Amino acid sequence: MVAVESPITGSADASTATALYLYGVTWAEATRPQPGAGVHGESVDAVAYREVAGLTSTIESTKVPAKRRDLLRHAEVLGTALEHGTVLPLRFGVVFENATALVEDLLLPRYAELVQLLGRFEGRVELSVKAFFREEAILAEIVQANPRIARLREATRDTSDGSTYPLRVELGERVAGQLQERTLRDRQALLDRLSRLALDVQVDQQPIEHQVLGASFLVERERVAAFDDALNELAQQQAERMHFKYLGPLAPHSFVGLNAEGR
Amino acid sequence: MAIATQGTASNYLQRAPSPSGLADVVELILDKGLVIDAYVRIAVIGIELITIDARIVIASVDTYLRFAEQVNRLDLTQTEAAGLKELRDGGGNGDGKAKGMAEGAKDALSGDGDRKQERAERG
Repeated sequence: MVAVESPITGSADASTATALYLYGVTWAEATRPQPGAGVHGESVDAVAYREVAGLTSTIESTKVPAKRRDLLRHAEVLGTALEHGTVLPLRFGVVFENATALVEDLLLPRYAELVQLLGRFEGRVELSVKAFFREEAILAEIVQANPRIARLREATRDTSDGSTYPLRVELGERVAGQLQERTLRDRQALLDRLSRLALDVQVDQQPIEHQVLGASFLVERERVAAFDDALNELAQQQAERMHFKYLGPLAPHSFVGLNAEGR
Repeated sequence: MAIATQGTASNYLQRAPSPSGLADVVELILDKGLVIDAYVRIAVIGIELITIDARIVIASVDTYLRFAEQVNRLDLTQTEAAGLKELRDGGGNGDGKAKGMAEGAKDALSGDGDRKQERAERG
């Protein structure tokens, strides 16, 4: 129980034209200063209201362009904060006029909701998993499993003239169909295995070429090791035909939302 | 190697603690996270160039012809003997997988010719 006073840092008044960049919201008692770690190389400080706090940096103005490094720093600040406690991550780029505005416009009016959200994500982290088919392996698999595709391939190999055009279109269409079928089937198999270890899942439905699965899993911290094991087992089994990208533990980017806010 | 113990499996796929590539970070913090619409957002420049990171599959004759060409370029002499394992079949043991994985990682970074540019920012 820490009751922190309303910010005094608002003394840098509006006339100086600085602004307050907000990374996320955490418990006030979990905040740690992060010198120089923020966007534009600024330090990360906390603006607390009762038990919650915004993780912020003072930036020169709202007109400063954001660069690659700033995007990475936003993510890193949240990652560091997550080591000390639960964090509600904000989308990149939210700026308040000053600390007073942050308290009066967000922390105070949304206090109950923020406390409830922080409670909900206590001890839980997001793990991001992506799986991709290895192009040559999956195409070879498709050719070998489908006699019609294999025949079309033989018939159109080393040709590019007009006479084989319809056959090449048919070949490609059949390959695309097989690829789609295998993507959906394998996506489901991966999800069946991994979802058991998660409280919630967000699956990316965008059809990205060769991406079998793009998903975020909300997982209890204590179960991260079990999730690691399950995913490693899958990655090992599938090594010849898939490669994986595995990211985490992350703040719950894919799972947070305030009421009446689009996500 | 008959059995992959939990110990070795855990070390197989590295979990990265935070996004290192721009594509990942863009997806994470430009597309996701709390949105507070009422407030100013700082200007983000140059991001449009890299958000189109991956090729979206579109059913079209062009796509089919590209797949046909890729299939025709395949060298099946190596893979035929190996016999690929599919997910539902339960996969296999871990023989020689580490090598495949390392090569795969390299592939993912370089991609093939026409994808190189789109993926350049991933590194």
